[in-house]
Amino acid sequence: MRLLLIEDDVEAAAQLAKFLRNAGHVVDHVMDGGDGVSMAAAGGYDVYVIDRMLPTMGGTEILTRRRDDGDETPALFLSALGEVGDRLTGFKAGADDYLVKPYSYEELLARLEVLGKRRGTPSNVTTRYAVGGLEIDVLTRTARRDGRKIDLQPREFRLLEYLMRHGGQVVTRTMLLENVWEYHFDPQTNVIDVHISRLRAKIDKGFEKKLLKTIRGAGYKITDAG
Amino acid sequence: MNAPSDKNEKTSRSKIGGWTRQPHRDKSAGRIFVTRLLRTTAFRYTGVFLLVFAVSVGMLATLFYQATFSVVDRQTDEIIDQDISVLTEVFVSDGPGTLRRLIRERAAWRDDGIYMMIGAPSGALLAGNLTALPLEALRAGEGFFNFTYERTKVDAARREVGEETRQARGKLRRFKVSPYANTSFLVFVARDISSREALRQRSQEQLTRIGGITIMLGLIIGLVFSRSLLMRVDVLNRTARAIRDGDLSKRITLRGSGDELDHLSENLNAMLDQIERLMSGMREVSDNIAHDLRSPLTRIRTRLNNALQASPAEKDEALRATLEDAERMVTTFNSLLSIARIESGEGIGAMEMVNLAAIAEEMVELYEPAAQDAGYALILDVLSAPNVRGSRALISQALANMLDNALKYAVGGSRIAICVGVTKTGCAKLGVADDGPGIPPPDREDVLKRFIRLERSRTTTGSGLGLSLVSAIARAHHASLHLGDGLAAPQGLEIETSADVSPGDASKDVASPGSARRGLKIQLIFETANG
Repeated sequence: MRLLLIEDDVEAAAQLAKFLRNAGHVVDHVMDGGDGVSMAAAGGYDVYVIDRMLPTMGGTEILTRRRDDGDETPALFLSALGEVGDRLTGFKAGADDYLVKPYSYEELLARLEVLGKRRGTPSNVTTRYAVGGLEIDVLTRTARRDGRKIDLQPREFRLLEYLMRHGGQVVTRTMLLENVWEYHFDPQTNVIDVHISRLRAKIDKGFEKKLLKTIRGAGYKITDAG
Repeated sequence: MNAPSDKNEKTSRSKIGGWTRQPHRDKSAGRIFVTRLLRTTAFRYTGVFLLVFAVSVGMLATLFYQATFSVVDRQTDEIIDQDISVLTEVFVSDGPGTLRRLIRERAAWRDDGIYMMIGAPSGALLAGNLTALPLEALRAGEGFFNFTYERTKVDAARREVGEETRQARGKLRRFKVSPYANTSFLVFVARDISSREALRQRSQEQLTRIGGITIMLGLIIGLVFSRSLLMRVDVLNRTARAIRDGDLSKRITLRGSGDELDHLSENLNAMLDQIERLMSGMREVSDNIAHDLRSPLTRIRTRLNNALQASPAEKDEALRATLEDAERMVTTFNSLLSIARIESGEGIGAMEMVNLAAIAEEMVELYEPAAQDAGYALILDVLSAPNVRGSRALISQALANMLDNALKYAVGGSRIAICVGVTKTGCAKLGVADDGPGIPPPDREDVLKRFIRLERSRTTTGSGLGLSLVSAIARAHHASLHLGDGLAAPQGLEIETSADVSPGDASKDVASPGSARRGLKIQLIFETANG
């Protein structure tokens, strides 16, 4: 992916860029909002990563300008402001995701990959997903593995659906909490892990190939590779 | 209002009411105060009212004055005209001799009447009570004129006591014996109008005095009002200045009169209380941040320092431990930041009607597997489904924190219940009860205070800020946080939460002898419940 990083903290940006490059992405870094707007206008990026609090032109303004120009490139806000109201203004400005500082690089990477992928498959609505022998049908809300039906609770289905929709990508606990449960806080208890292990028991138990994998330090991934 | 004539006078003990009685104030300060006084809204209003009042009173007085005195004037003139016509008749029918006798008679009456009969062209005074014709008579011709004359003054006992100048009004008329005759007679008829003129003058003076007094009184009242208002506003200003200079504890003294300024002051004081609370909250938060972040930072530094000389395996271990510390610090930092922002009212977001039961159901759904794994049965105990005005996100977070707390501390318990209901007094309540060791009743107050004041014992790992955040969320929703007995001891089968708990008895010690395990119930009680 080609990423545009607009961040005024030189050292933080350099480290983040290094991390993202190691993960196989191309990163352009600018420090100023104005430069960011012109770089973005030049085009060719898959995702924008924008710090919300920049000295001259704020992140929301940068994004509002791009959206006004019809630029639909997915954007992720990095912000020290993390309350509900702040997120809301961020999303109103046209952000597709919002990450509160301090964040972990793995979390950011997982989110960026999801955003970049979203761009690859635009409007055509997929109703069926398949990974390995596991299939789900979003319309009938059924899941099968190797043709055998799996009984899932509604929430388990949504959890599986989210993982399948981002098959092959790392999905963090926070992403699951935000997208499956719509909560924006981190419980101190490992609630998500337990939900995952229940789901895993239903889809992977009795099968030699384990599809739902735990990625240490990051989150989970459904994949039939490896 | 004499201005101090002596320019060297140091104090301005001006005679205007005495606003500047303090001798330490110099003249310019006094003048500034007076200038400010004259600029007050109250004084300007008084001025406008006074002006309108003075103009209307003036008009009224003028009208009244003119109406009264023009009638009196006309009456005098009519009497004189009547007199003249009577005299004319007498002259025409009976001749000058009779007229002269009649005038002599009338002149002797000693009333207000003044008569003169003069022979012309000889100028001899034939009859009358005036010694000489007034000069004004020559100019007036046939018309009325006013004049002054000297008269002997008479006291109550009719004794003569000198002379006095009096005013009179009269008319001159020429009688001819025949159109061809050379001789004629001048008849002068007048009335003394001194008493009337005196009355007129007195009236004028009186009206002017009344007007003057009215305006003076208005001015004084206006100044007094303005001054009292100004002094009260000065109290506000002084307080504001003191606060601006950093004394946040300063408050406006109320007069207890219950008027609009008192209400304003009350509201300002309430606002100041809130600001002070927020400020001290922020201070506590920053103190806590300092404390919570300094110790892990010190730990990290020591560890990394040691790791410099350590073996690769030890280095890895040090890095891992450091990473864990860093993550804990991030959690702590986020919690503190959230608390601070919620406390300041900034991070609350939109308030809407939310159903507590719905929030609880969703949370049960999220936590049930984790609770089961940890060996607890998670029970949803919904007695009624009250709605409250609040933030779904924050209330959910509060509930999650209470559940985290129960899962962490209800060691040895087997059940955790989320209770939703309405108190006897009609307040919505949302709580989490467990059957763990609980907190002994005497300690609950302290524990609660610690949440509220963000202080805590640091014996447990983790940020330990969960319940402080709950407390902040409670405050943001005008809800109160209560600690009480939780579920009955493990051997008991009944769930105790069906009993209504009002704010009063939530923290009351329900003695349960023979059972050291009383469990713990943390409960949010909202101000109202609609639903």
